[in-house]
Amino acid sequence: MIRRGLTGCIILTLFLLVPSRAAAQDKLRIVTTLPDLAYLADEIGGDLVETFSIATGYQNPHFVDPKPSYILKLTRADMFITIGLDLELGWVPALLNSARNSRIQPGGEGYVDASIDVPLLEVPTRVSREEGDIHIFGNPHYWLDPDRVQIVARNITKALNRLLPANKSQFDENLEHFSTRLDSLYVEWKERMEPYRGAHIVAYHNQWPYFEEAFGLDIADFLEPKPGIPPTPSQLALIIRHMQQDNLKVLIIAPYYKQDAANLVVSRVNGVVVPLASSVGAYDGIDTVFDLFDYNVELMVNAFESATE
Amino acid sequence: MATNLNKFVIRTLACFTLWALFSYSAVAQDPDSVVAVDSLLLELQRDLGALTPSLPRQNTSRARPATNPDISVIGDIRALIFSEGERNFDFELHEVETAFKSVIDPFARAEIYIAAHNEDGDIEFELEEAYLTTLALPHQLQLKAGKFRSNVGKINRIHPHALPFPDIPLVYENYFGLEGLNDQGVGLSWLIPNSSFYQEVSLEITRGPHHSPSFDVAGNNRFLYTTHLKNFWDLSADATLELGVSGLSGPNQRGMTSFLGGADLTYKWKPVRFNTYQSFTAQMEVFLSKMETNDDDISTWGFYALASYQFAGRWFFTGRFDHSDLPDDPDWNENGFSATLTWYVTEFQKIEFGIRRRWSEHFDSMYTGVVRAVFVMGTHGAHEY
Repeated sequence: MIRRGLTGCIILTLFLLVPSRAAAQDKLRIVTTLPDLAYLADEIGGDLVETFSIATGYQNPHFVDPKPSYILKLTRADMFITIGLDLELGWVPALLNSARNSRIQPGGEGYVDASIDVPLLEVPTRVSREEGDIHIFGNPHYWLDPDRVQIVARNITKALNRLLPANKSQFDENLEHFSTRLDSLYVEWKERMEPYRGAHIVAYHNQWPYFEEAFGLDIADFLEPKPGIPPTPSQLALIIRHMQQDNLKVLIIAPYYKQDAANLVVSRVNGVVVPLASSVGAYDGIDTVFDLFDYNVELMVNAFESATE
Repeated sequence: MATNLNKFVIRTLACFTLWALFSYSAVAQDPDSVVAVDSLLLELQRDLGALTPSLPRQNTSRARPATNPDISVIGDIRALIFSEGERNFDFELHEVETAFKSVIDPFARAEIYIAAHNEDGDIEFELEEAYLTTLALPHQLQLKAGKFRSNVGKINRIHPHALPFPDIPLVYENYFGLEGLNDQGVGLSWLIPNSSFYQEVSLEITRGPHHSPSFDVAGNNRFLYTTHLKNFWDLSADATLELGVSGLSGPNQRGMTSFLGGADLTYKWKPVRFNTYQSFTAQMEVFLSKMETNDDDISTWGFYALASYQFAGRWFFTGRFDHSDLPDDPDWNENGFSATLTWYVTEFQKIEFGIRRRWSEHFDSMYTGVVRAVFVMGTHGAHEY
């Protein structure tokens, strides 16, 4: 009996002695929930990081399947960046619980909640699911405002500085570079949108409040009667009446929603469906945060121009 | 007596020597130095730092008050109609499950599921699962201890309310009982360091279940051993394939040993872009059983195959075929077919309409119709993929 126990002891000890990771580690491995975060981490981390985004830019970020293949990525990750605010509640906890990696668990060194210090909109005063899929902390789609992207970029820089303190100056420099470019482009985008300040539009899902605020738009109605509940015929009838009465012509929608209902509505009011990009990678050619805003501003300007013709 | 004592002392000494040797080899990576003590100390501190998960920093995230566990309540209410019997229509509060989940400390997480069941009209409370899972073991190991659903096959670990049908497959019912295989013990799982596809192997040692048709609690130190190997591939961005192999061995009701071998295959398709509108799942599981008895061994088997199609945003149709023997009766076998239509009112409520035919050469065909409503209160935990 003792001999067997002893053998067990030895095998276990030997097993624990095998190094878990290759000693020479080249790049910091970063896994993010959304491609926007992966882009920012790449931009600031430069050659020192290697990024992987679990969701694609054209996927509904609320409903991503926690596939085991993502667990493989998380097991080896040094850093995990999440949008937070329960946006990914349906899949991130399941993945992290199985990741067997304490570095990236909430509270761990490599866990980064990108929403820290981001001022939030639509923080509910009353929480009830009677209101549909609501978010108890506030609306989580904050990456569609350039000013808030600046905060996210700073959060990521802070985390990189924490994990690779020797390269702090490089990260700070990259952040500076990114930040300056975004600021100056934001001024240009706002100028282009200025003629349409205060314009009333309609959206499919309530995911644009930050975009609305950043570019001076006013979303007057949603096709979904309550967040997460698909439009019913009676809701569509209400929307059509609302758009006719207030002469609303522009309806914005994310790439992961089917456009049938939206097309039906705009055909009755002689309006236009604008398939905005909700994330980096939403459509071909949108590879950066700059592309994302460029694309959306271009689309909105075109839509307003065609609507006024 | 003296020789026994001697042996004991020698073995103890041997044990200590070996232990010291291994500890030394683990720590002393640079053995030729008294000079290197400082660097060794630094190294040790660094290693210790790497081993100890850093304590939660302040203001790391906006989150719920973390000292309270996440609580959810899931209800399963049914109306049933049978083709046989005097009273062939009934209502049933099938189950109300309360789940508490929380991280205990940086090293472990605990989950507790308490269920109120309907047992022949009476409501009975049962501790369905209660277990601790480690979060920070090295080498991609995860240890689990407590009472839990065994990691066998594909659907055994899934709680019934999360299955796309109200009835469990006959092979599960006949070999593991209506509530599946659920036992008390420990389990260790290891994520195999394979970078090309996902592989996880687990070994569970449990005391032996009370109500399982295949296994029983033994009066001596014999336990139920359960192993499972899960292989998972991404065929494309839209499709995945999972192949699992299970093996079980444990004491049976006849005081001998029963062996079960199983395989499960699951194909899932779901487009990445319009990921909430359409999906398809095909799945099958087969179990082979060998039950030792005082006479001849009894070899039996059973399987099910199902296809589930999401044909609109909130609508699923699932069809399943079952065939199963009984573990202790080589002459008995039965078949089942069930069809289920599921409507997700929202993410937090679903309504299912199911019909099942069960037939065999031993009895007349039986039909059951079920309507069930499943609702979720509180935090809606993600389901395993």
